[in-house]
Amino acid sequence: MPDGKLVEVTLTGTERIESARVTGDFFLEPPEARADLEAAIEGHPVDADRETLVEAIEAVDAQLIGFDPGDLADATLEAIA
Amino acid sequence: MKLRVVDGGTYSEPVQQALERVLTDRLADGEIDPTLRFWYRERPAVPLGRFQAYADEVAVDYAAEQGVDVVRRVTGGGAMYVEPGAVITYSLYLPRSAVADDVAASYAELDQFAIDALQGLGLDVRHEPLNDIAHPEGKIGGAAQLRTGDAVLHHTTMSYELDTAEMLRVLRIGEEKVSDKAITSAEKRVARISDHVGASRREVVDAIIEAAGDRYDTVEDELAEAVLTDARDLAAEQFATDAWNRQL
Repeated sequence: MPDGKLVEVTLTGTERIESARVTGDFFLEPPEARADLEAAIEGHPVDADRETLVEAIEAVDAQLIGFDPGDLADATLEAIA
Repeated sequence: MKLRVVDGGTYSEPVQQALERVLTDRLADGEIDPTLRFWYRERPAVPLGRFQAYADEVAVDYAAEQGVDVVRRVTGGGAMYVEPGAVITYSLYLPRSAVADDVAASYAELDQFAIDALQGLGLDVRHEPLNDIAHPEGKIGGAAQLRTGDAVLHHTTMSYELDTAEMLRVLRIGEEKVSDKAITSAEKRVARISDHVGASRREVVDAIIEAAGDRYDTVEDELAEAVLTDARDLAAEQFATDAWNRQL
């Protein structure tokens, strides 16, 4: 990421994403929105496309600092792969 | 703007991190004036970024053996290793109205007085977006912010003469991790103030206080006993507990 931040996504689930954990050295306001980001990732089929994930993440009411919805979607796809 | 300068008080890492919450909330509630606080630590510690996974960042067994306090911060950003007397940490608690809305701009703005001070001592440093204080040989320090409704917390830690070999043992920097992608910003080289200028740590802190005085209407002060009582209670309830520190 441009500012050297790391976002890591850890997933469980086989056909659908049952649980997602988002960790890293990023900033997020409000901090409580981390749970909302995880909820935005959960429930999608494991073959969800990037655009779908980006849209779900963008819908979360939070300010992402040091990363953007695309970065989080990419980290999710990487965790699926 | 009037700025209280609190330069004193040695506390455990959980109390230090609890003070961040207590002072930010009190500022937001209008109970204290804007404040610049310098930290004095009791023991080596790892302040962990709010969103970091404990076991990804810390060599858990080694840190426990060495009695290093690992405490999750209220702010995002990365883990650091800190030792009493070997780092300089300070916090700013400011009203939101006094800080740029643009986060990147506010990091640059709120780091500037410390950068002025370090440059005045002859150190070649500059702000490096988003939140680093950089020297040609590496990262001297980093800042992290928390914004609440009416307050901004901006805290910064700089390496004065950190034992970087010990840092590499305590933090999982450069260790092979499960994911290749887990190369963190902490892997950037650390540069130390004492390697480049002759000023003592005390002299560096004094220079930072003086530089703050060039920008703000500074006045020496100390923490109220009620603030410390709140922070000690909150440390016991939250910042000294595994439920908070090991939540991720």
